[in-house]
Amino acid sequence: MTDIPSKMSARGVSVFYGDKQAVKDVSIDIDMDKVTAFIGPSGCGKSTFLRTLNRMNDTIASARVTGDIMLDGENIYSSAMDVVQLRARVGMVFQKPNPFPKSIFENVAYGPRIHGLAASKSELEAIVERSLKRAGLWEEVKDRLQDSGTALSGGQQQRLCIARAIAVDPEVILMDEPASALDPIATAKIEELIHELRGRYAIAIVTHNMQQAARVSQRTAFFHLGTLVEYGETDQIFTTPREERTKDYITGRYG
Amino acid sequence: MNSASPIARAPTDWNAAPMQKRIRRRYARERRFRFFGLAAVTLSAAFLAFLLITMVANGWRGFTRTDVALMIDFPASGMLVERAQLATPGADLALAGAGLENTVKSAAATAFGAGGDEFVSENAWLRVREAIKADPTVLDRKITILVPASTEIDQAVRGDGNAETKAAAAKLQQAGALSRHFNMDFLHESDSTDPVAVGIWGALKGSLLTMLVTFLIAFPVGVLSAIYLEEYAPRNRWTDLIEVSINNLAAVPSIIFGLLGLAVFLGSWSLFGYQFGPLLPRSAAIVGGLTLALMIMPVIVIASRNAIKAVPPSIRDAALGIGASPIQVVFHHVLPLAMPGILTGTIIGMARALGETAPLLLIGMRAFIVTPPGGFTDPATVLPVQIFLWSDEVSRGFVEKTSAAIIVLLVFLLAMNGLAIYLRNKFETRW
Amino acid sequence: MNAFALLFLIAGLGLIGWLSARARATRFDRGGAKRLHSLPGQHGMYVAMWTMLPALLFVAVWSAVSPGLVKEAVLAHPAAAQLPQFAFERDALLAEAKRVASEDNATAFDPVAGQLAAPTRAAQTRYGWMGTGVAILLAFAGGAFALTRVRAHFKARSQVERGMMVLLLVASLIAILTTLGIFLSLLWESLRFFQQVPITDFLFGTHWSPQVIDAADPGKSLGAVPLFWGTFFIGAVIAMIVAIPFGLMSAIYLTQYAAPRVRRWMKPTLEMLAGVPTVVYGYFAALTVAPAVRDLAVSFGYTYASSESALAAGLVMGVMIIPFVSSMADDSIAAVPTAMRDGSLAMGATTSETISKVLIPAALPGVVAGVLLAVSRAIGETMIVVMAASGAANITLNPFESATTVTKQIVDLLTGESEFDSPKTLAAFALGLTLFVITLLLNIVALRVVKKYREAYE
Repeated sequence: MTDIPSKMSARGVSVFYGDKQAVKDVSIDIDMDKVTAFIGPSGCGKSTFLRTLNRMNDTIASARVTGDIMLDGENIYSSAMDVVQLRARVGMVFQKPNPFPKSIFENVAYGPRIHGLAASKSELEAIVERSLKRAGLWEEVKDRLQDSGTALSGGQQQRLCIARAIAVDPEVILMDEPASALDPIATAKIEELIHELRGRYAIAIVTHNMQQAARVSQRTAFFHLGTLVEYGETDQIFTTPREERTKDYITGRYG
Repeated sequence: MNSASPIARAPTDWNAAPMQKRIRRRYARERRFRFFGLAAVTLSAAFLAFLLITMVANGWRGFTRTDVALMIDFPASGMLVERAQLATPGADLALAGAGLENTVKSAAATAFGAGGDEFVSENAWLRVREAIKADPTVLDRKITILVPASTEIDQAVRGDGNAETKAAAAKLQQAGALSRHFNMDFLHESDSTDPVAVGIWGALKGSLLTMLVTFLIAFPVGVLSAIYLEEYAPRNRWTDLIEVSINNLAAVPSIIFGLLGLAVFLGSWSLFGYQFGPLLPRSAAIVGGLTLALMIMPVIVIASRNAIKAVPPSIRDAALGIGASPIQVVFHHVLPLAMPGILTGTIIGMARALGETAPLLLIGMRAFIVTPPGGFTDPATVLPVQIFLWSDEVSRGFVEKTSAAIIVLLVFLLAMNGLAIYLRNKFETRW
Repeated sequence: MNAFALLFLIAGLGLIGWLSARARATRFDRGGAKRLHSLPGQHGMYVAMWTMLPALLFVAVWSAVSPGLVKEAVLAHPAAAQLPQFAFERDALLAEAKRVASEDNATAFDPVAGQLAAPTRAAQTRYGWMGTGVAILLAFAGGAFALTRVRAHFKARSQVERGMMVLLLVASLIAILTTLGIFLSLLWESLRFFQQVPITDFLFGTHWSPQVIDAADPGKSLGAVPLFWGTFFIGAVIAMIVAIPFGLMSAIYLTQYAAPRVRRWMKPTLEMLAGVPTVVYGYFAALTVAPAVRDLAVSFGYTYASSESALAAGLVMGVMIIPFVSSMADDSIAAVPTAMRDGSLAMGATTSETISKVLIPAALPGVVAGVLLAVSRAIGETMIVVMAASGAANITLNPFESATTVTKQIVDLLTGESEFDSPKTLAAFALGLTLFVITLLLNIVALRVVKKYREAYE
């Protein structure tokens, strides 16, 4: 690839739930200015792997992660790494929009508040405005910031969740099937948003929609049954895949 | 054909007489069954209604009192009081020393004939005392003042009592001396030997102080335990044990908690030759509050756990994803959402504590309390115990006072349960 | 200084600590790091914790220990030599001295107590100031220590959160301590009881008259079988005869026959039966039900019918228990899958046949558990029996006669200023232990029944 060191790199990562191994020996790089898509049939471990990148698997008692994952050269599973700060630097957007049952303003302001990113009220308001603008939601909600976040439409809620993640000034944004619960118009908006965000953050997106992966990403990783089968430039994966399994999946043989 | 033909089965004749009879019997049984069900529900509700109506019927009159219009001629009575003293705190003593009680009694005898002093309550002179302190000039003239009638007259007016007192009451009625008023004293005064003068304020204040102690202890401990058990505790044998203990505690009879309170808070024992005395004063609100707190804490824990469980995991994930620490996730997000359910459970628990009697009897909150408790360590009693003590009284006048006190207690409980139901309906969110 | 003032002072010191730490933290030199580990408020919290907690712990311990120290000091005074040897009387006089010491114009009834008033007050004052001084010292020490650790890279948040976790754990332990406390205190006192009265006399003896206890053989008049019988007869027989039919049929009607609107109003109404305080039930039983029962008995020919009959108490208790039966029966009947009900109806069964042959058998574990829990509640009930039944320890099958229960006897035994160690008082604890064990067993069996048999229908 290039000479610039990757933002995040995983080497030999495996994930076990008890005795069952869900992810086998995955090595991958996530770079700035690029969207990396994880594709594969359902149950192949792509979401599980995504969740290792911000240590959300820690919340599951039986989960165990082996291997190394580096963020700017630091191993995120070392005991010196503060999980709370990690999750601010590596943000996550979930499949089903999950805004807090608070006002729109509070939803976005919560993160900066607990991390102490704003020294004054006006700074906080500026952060909220900036995040909502970057998430493409500002024009629609600027007059009703005190309304409840759960009163928005599905697509708006998801953009609110993206704004919330942006507000803590992350370096990487992880998206777990962000548009799968949304209608086509909302999906299109999200994809447009991803395109705009790419310039500022490293983005990793899990999707079961191949066309979406082809549309938004520059790198694609194909997972199958827990292993990383192929990883490369999106154009190359979709036009001239090297592995047989990849080709079968792309052409719709299964999945 | 060699195989035996299947046994032919005649089609069921639904119109045959025996079948019709069976069907009619089945329907009859159905109707009876349904009737029994309806009867059970109606009768159960009727029990409740009967109970409440009896209490109200017996008790509403406890809120009223018969007063006697008594004429007192102060100049003629020869009572000597120094006017200057009436403005000082020594006024009560001065008036008592001047023989006010006897003055009132002889005024009654004068007005109503021999035995007339029995027509007014023993504490009637206190009413006169208050009037004098309010306006000392009455001592210069004749006044007609409303004083409480004695219990016997009070009863006779309602139709209870022997012929003598009934005749006396009739005489007073004819003289236009009797009237009925709302009995404010019932809400202001405390216990007394004279049913006409009793009030519930002493017991009510004791109840309020006890409830305060109970809440301050049971609510934090209960909610914090629930948070720990639901959110942070690892699932192992020890936490299973804690969970089982709490579920069992919720079903332990209340009197056992009285025994616990007696042994732990009021008992004395020697440890390593060192004498540990009673930890707390007997019969005080703080002991009662502590004992009741231990009793309702499991109720609060269980209700809180259910409320916390109902918060969907997606909220927790979202907060964790932003980088909130586990403590921040619970206190910033889960707890506010679970609060309505927690409060509902707490109010229901507190309502239960308000009505409890047996444990408090054991720790001594059954004294004859004439003045309301000043603080948490003064001897006190609570409203249910007051009801219990009055129910033992022989004097007939106490029946309606007891029922009236029951009405007050039920009103409080109704208010609390109503509040809990209102909270539950208003804040119940469908996830 | 009294307790409230001291607590206020400690809280105030905590606030000062919080403010100064927070002020310090806002002026941190970040050294180029984009964000620090902890917010200034969290540093403040850390210092506040260290200021207040050691001091508060000390105050708690000191208030338990200092009365003993005061007592020692007073006993060392020469006037104390005149105190009687007997602990009970001596303690009474010491309490008298304390009372005189605390009130301004009081005079003692007993001269010795009067003499000891001044030394008591002196000792109280001395130890009071000592405690206050040490508490404040601890607060300052803790606060100073914590302040020195407040630095830019100090992980205050983690420390504070760890403290929170400890607090949460302690709260949960209080729950288990309560169970332990109940069990241990009951056990302890009961063991002392059984040292004086053989356990077989207690559990199997049939004569109960605690007013006359032969000091040589107390077990003779402390046989608890009549109590067990009374408890069983009133709570598990008479009350259940009322509660089970009414409770079960109400539940059946409300779940199967009633219109939704009726159910919405009637279910809470039934629950209200459980919300009425037992003292009200007791009064109602004594005032209205017992005379009615007595009149009934007289009309049957029992001229000497008691006005404190077992029937009166049992009936009212049964009414109170109805919601316990109906609530659990309601839940379990409602939990039976509709598919089962529909299947039976589709075959042409009437509703009552469906209920009695399909639904109730399916819901039986829940119903049985409800009945067991109701029995457990009934035998633990106190006030209804205290007010409506008497203390006559009979073993009788006649509901119009009087019977007494374990709970009423506990109350009677502990009423009055009897000495703490007498067989009478200790017998109450033994009775309490028996009651606790039996209700515990009933509850465990009920929950086990539900858990074990419910899975078959999931």
